[in-house]
Amino acid sequence: MKSFENKKIFIASNEYTYRVEHLTLEGTCSIDHGPRNVKIKNLLVDKYPVTNQQYSFFLKKTGYQPRDTQRFLEHKPNKKIFNLPVVFVSQNDAIAYAKWVGGRLPTDEEWQYIAAGPKYLDWPWGNKFNPSLCNHDGNKLESVNAYRKGESWCGCVDMSGNCWEWTAGIHDDGNHQFALLRGGSYFYAHDHWHVGGGARKNSYHWKLQILNEGMNRAATLGFRCVYDAK
Amino acid sequence: MMQNKFTGKKKFIDFSLGSLNLSLDVDKNIFLKKLNFIKNINNELFSIRVENKLIPRNKYKIEKVFKKTDVNFAVISIDFSQNFENDFFKGRISLIQKKKNITDFIFQLSARWHKNIPKKVLLKFPFLINLHKNKNFLKPGDIFDGKKRINKGVWNLHEYPPSIISDNLGNQCLGFEFYDQFPWQANYNLGISEAISNENFEKLETEIQLTRELTDIILMKIYTSSQGREKIFGLWKENTRERYDLRKYHDSKNRWIKKNYLQHFMFAYGEEAFDYKKMEFKIIQIIKEGKEFGGYDSILFWHQYPRLGLDESNQWQLYKYLPKNYKTIKKIVDICHSHNTKFFIPFKPWDIRSNESLDSHAKYLERFIKATSIDGFFLDTMSSLPDSFLKIQKKFPSFEFCSEGTPREQRQIETLTSSWDQIGDIRRNFKVEINSNFFRFLFPEHPLNLVSRWSVGSDKDSLIKRAAFNGMGMVIWQDIFGCWLPFSIEQKKNIKSLKSILKKYHKYFYGDNSIPLINTLSKKIICNEFSNSHGKQKIYSIYNFGSNKIKGRILKLPLEVKEFKQIYGKKANIQIQKKQNIFYLSANLNVDDVILVNIKFKI
Repeated sequence: MKSFENKKIFIASNEYTYRVEHLTLEGTCSIDHGPRNVKIKNLLVDKYPVTNQQYSFFLKKTGYQPRDTQRFLEHKPNKKIFNLPVVFVSQNDAIAYAKWVGGRLPTDEEWQYIAAGPKYLDWPWGNKFNPSLCNHDGNKLESVNAYRKGESWCGCVDMSGNCWEWTAGIHDDGNHQFALLRGGSYFYAHDHWHVGGGARKNSYHWKLQILNEGMNRAATLGFRCVYDAK
Repeated sequence: MMQNKFTGKKKFIDFSLGSLNLSLDVDKNIFLKKLNFIKNINNELFSIRVENKLIPRNKYKIEKVFKKTDVNFAVISIDFSQNFENDFFKGRISLIQKKKNITDFIFQLSARWHKNIPKKVLLKFPFLINLHKNKNFLKPGDIFDGKKRINKGVWNLHEYPPSIISDNLGNQCLGFEFYDQFPWQANYNLGISEAISNENFEKLETEIQLTRELTDIILMKIYTSSQGREKIFGLWKENTRERYDLRKYHDSKNRWIKKNYLQHFMFAYGEEAFDYKKMEFKIIQIIKEGKEFGGYDSILFWHQYPRLGLDESNQWQLYKYLPKNYKTIKKIVDICHSHNTKFFIPFKPWDIRSNESLDSHAKYLERFIKATSIDGFFLDTMSSLPDSFLKIQKKFPSFEFCSEGTPREQRQIETLTSSWDQIGDIRRNFKVEINSNFFRFLFPEHPLNLVSRWSVGSDKDSLIKRAAFNGMGMVIWQDIFGCWLPFSIEQKKNIKSLKSILKKYHKYFYGDNSIPLINTLSKKIICNEFSNSHGKQKIYSIYNFGSNKIKGRILKLPLEVKEFKQIYGKKANIQIQKKQNIFYLSANLNVDDVILVNIKFKI
């Protein structure tokens, strides 16, 4: 598989009105879903989700080993799948990588702005769902650059479908800890009691209730990094 | 037994079978004239419309009267016929009595169609509609509140309790049951049991399919009682239970599920259950906190939903991802067992993949039982026990199943011996009503745990009262998939009190002598009765659903009282009064209070 550069895209600071829908089946999602004004600082953002190749390089260079290894890189990244997004990583694993590359995970608000932009687009590519522009309801993960035509207003690719992406922070409502996931994935479970799969709109996040690392890692869950810019 | 009277122009047929007396006027149509204490009814038994034309009353002809009696069996029937336009109809009305106080009323019809082309036939039962309008008629689960009939009884199974009509004193009663064997069965009872409970029963008109042979249209069981409506319920209960194979409930083993009064719902993703610093489950803490409720008898561990579906992992694989995988569950189970607490895991039927079967899940379960020593399987979203799982109980006799829904059908009730009594609706303004659950009284050996997951505040108070009123256990569920809805200290105390009473008086609550909604002396009081096997002791659960405090006599007691004690609820100054050799229970009962009173009788 031919590798490619995961270049960084500049996002100029701006203010926008954050408004997000969530679907938690039952239960609540104790954050302010807007509409509210948020300020986005100057950012650089990875064009693609972090790939197996990038994460393997990180491991090679740092010898990173999580304290709890349950399901860590369970898919066993190898050269054949180097261009696929890295998955089976917890939020801690994602943060460790991001720190190493001098970045961090995007906040939930930043992620939405990167995907929707100042025009508040419903999908990265526009306002109408187009399953041919993303890995939606597929059988497996695909290369992060497989759907370049589905890029967002700023040029970021693979923001909807393929794999869910971690956002920054563990939210704590006093009784529960949870993180917010973005973008949806290729996997679409068959029943309405399952987590709603497939590609997801820019204005959608899913509440992942945090437990041990084995439960926090999944075959459909990866990340991309952002970098504070001047 | 039966008399045919032909006086002047009028023709009557009087039926008398045991305690049932019925008089028909067969002069022009078939009119019900009298039914035990209900006189001057003067209503057509039926009316038939063929292709929207009503068959005139004067078309009916009595063909034959048949009777036969012996020691164990009595039958009386009349055959009638009628020509209407080019079609010919035959019918038969029969009464069959095999048991004292229970009589089958059977109505059959046939048609010989002109040129063998069937027509659309609609049937009405004016006599039934007329009875239904009687001020002393109670639909199943209804009581009188002094002004009108109101519903205070619920059931959620395919059996329908009888509607009851009583005399003005409430002693002489008739119960009418329309058993629906199968909701799609042609002709048979025509969904009357359901219709009678609904509004617009007056408009009930059903379509029937008639052939050359007589077909059953109505099979109404008439229950008779001279001891009030409680007796009608008792007769129906006895008659209904006879159809069931309840051996699984009554096998010789002392099954722990019968004493599963409090089941804790342990939602894994929260401070209640999980220590985020130590990354382990707080099982000892949960058991300790459970003592505030009187102690959990079982714990239901829940971590698959709402997590399943994030990737392809199935419900069993998610156990492997817990800290130290299955060993976590094994450790928790061992701790539970050392505290005399049983442990359930859930089964999610909606997660079965296209390449899986229930048999394969039964194998997973078997392996899981061996690896972890879990005690039970909770059947999420289900109300029946698949055969694949039933086999598990043969290998692990003490292993139990409990379902989210109360079983509705006969086979389900026979095999699935425990379930939740779940109420509530998150999408509506749901109010927890305090009423009688007829399933619980029909099958008291089937433990039910009451739960209304979204109820808070006063609704939680009502939930506890409803459990006390029905003498049933509860599910202690405070973390609703990430929404923390705890019980208050006061509510915990009330649950603790309830649990100790359920435990102490287990034989009363779970014996088969319980009766819902017995007669009371106050229009704003409802009462259930729980009795030990020989009737020497009873527990009365009493609820004031009115808007005023009730002071004075509320129950007429069946026997002389030896001892009495209020065992649950706010002090109600219970007293026993005797007047003209009749014993009465009097109380000062505040609005919305539920109390339980234990009475020992002199026998």
